Amino acid sequence: MPLTTIQCDALREMGNIGAAHAATTLSQMLATDIQMNVPEISMVDIAQIHRYIGDDVAALVIFQIQGELSHGGYVLLHVPKESSIRLTNTMLGMDDPSREMTEMDRSALLEIGNIMVSAFLDATAGLLNIVMLPSPPALVIDMPHAALETLIAEQEIEMNEIVLFRTELASDQHKIHANILLLPNPPMLSDIITILEGLIQSAPQTA
Amino acid sequence: MIVMNLQALAQTTDRIVIGIGDHHVGSDPMTSIGLGSCVALVLHDEDRLVGGMAHVMLPASNGRQDRPGKFADTAIVALREELRLLGSRNGSVVAKLVGGASMFKDFSGNLNIGERNLESLRSLAEKHRLTIRAEETGGTVGRSLTYYPAEHGRVSVRRADGKCVDI
Repeated sequence: MPLTTIQCDALREMGNIGAAHAATTLSQMLATDIQMNVPEISMVDIAQIHRYIGDDVAALVIFQIQGELSHGGYVLLHVPKESSIRLTNTMLGMDDPSREMTEMDRSALLEIGNIMVSAFLDATAGLLNIVMLPSPPALVIDMPHAALETLIAEQEIEMNEIVLFRTELASDQHKIHANILLLPNPPMLSDIITILEGLIQSAPQTA
Repeated sequence: MIVMNLQALAQTTDRIVIGIGDHHVGSDPMTSIGLGSCVALVLHDEDRLVGGMAHVMLPASNGRQDRPGKFADTAIVALREELRLLGSRNGSVVAKLVGGASMFKDFSGNLNIGERNLESLRSLAEKHRLTIRAEETGGTVGRSLTYYPAEHGRVSVRRADGKCVDI
C-alpha cells in the first residue's frame, strides 16, 4: 500500500504527538531533559529490513495495539543494551554501567515501557478520537531484527512490505538512547489513515 | 539506521546479505542477520565449493511463486534447481538449518512459527532425500550467521546470548 505525501505527513504528525508525550514521561522519570527527533516513516521491503534494524542485542519492550482499530499492530520501545543498563541505573540509583542485567532491571524496563507506550497511545488515541490500549508488554533482550521478523511472520496477513515508523529519544546527561517504533499492519494502517483523512477534511481551512 | 553497527557493516561488505525471503546460490560467503522465527536453509555441495542459502519466513507457500526464498517448500526447490544449473549432483548436496526460535510466549495468535518452519523443512528434506548435516535451531534466542561455501560449507553462527558456534 503506497502512501501519499499527505498521508505520510499526517502519520508523522500523529507520531510526533505520541512520541512527545512518551518523551515527557521519560523526562519526568529521569528528571532530565529528553531530546526527540522528527519521526521517520519508511516503506520497507521485508528483504531490506536489515538495512534499518540490526542485530546488536538490545532491550525491546513490545506491545500489541488494541482498542477501536483493526488489531495486529505493534509499538516497540527499543533501548540499546548499554543504554538500558544506564537507564535502569539512573532509575534505581545505581552507578555500575558494566554490571549484568538482573530481574530488577527487567521489571524496571517493563514498567518504563508501559508508562511511555501508554502515554504514546493515549496521545494518538486522543488525536484520532478513539480508544487505543496497549496489550500487556513482552520484554526480550535480543537482536532487534530477530524480534521484528518474528512479529511480521506471526501476522495473519502476509506482507512483503512494511510501514516502519521510528522516533529517537535521547538524554545527553545520562547518555541514554532509545527508539519508539510503530509497526502497524495493513488493516490498522488503513484504519488510521481513514481517520486522519477525515480529520484533515473536517479541519477549518485557513487562508 | 536504527541500530546499524558500523563495524558489523564493514565486515559484511564482502558478503552477500540474504534478507528475509531472499535466496542466493554461488561460492561467495552469504550472511543473514537477526534470525528469529525465520530459518536459514543452507544447501551445500560437498563435492564442489558452492552452495545456496535462503532466509525462510513461513512453512508453506500455498501456491505463491513470487518469492521462492520466503517459503520452506519453494525455497528448497529453488535452491536445488539453481544448484543443478551450476552443475551440482543431487547426491552431493547436504542441508544445514539455523534459526527457528520461539521468541514470544506472551502474545497469543499465530504462535510457534519457528517450530513450524523447522518441521516443514525437516519433512521436506526427507521427501527430497536431502541429508540434514547439522542444525543450530530452536530455543528462544535470535541468531546471525555466515555461510562459507569455499570452506567446506562452514556455517558460523552468532547467538543473541553471546555464544558463537560453527556447524
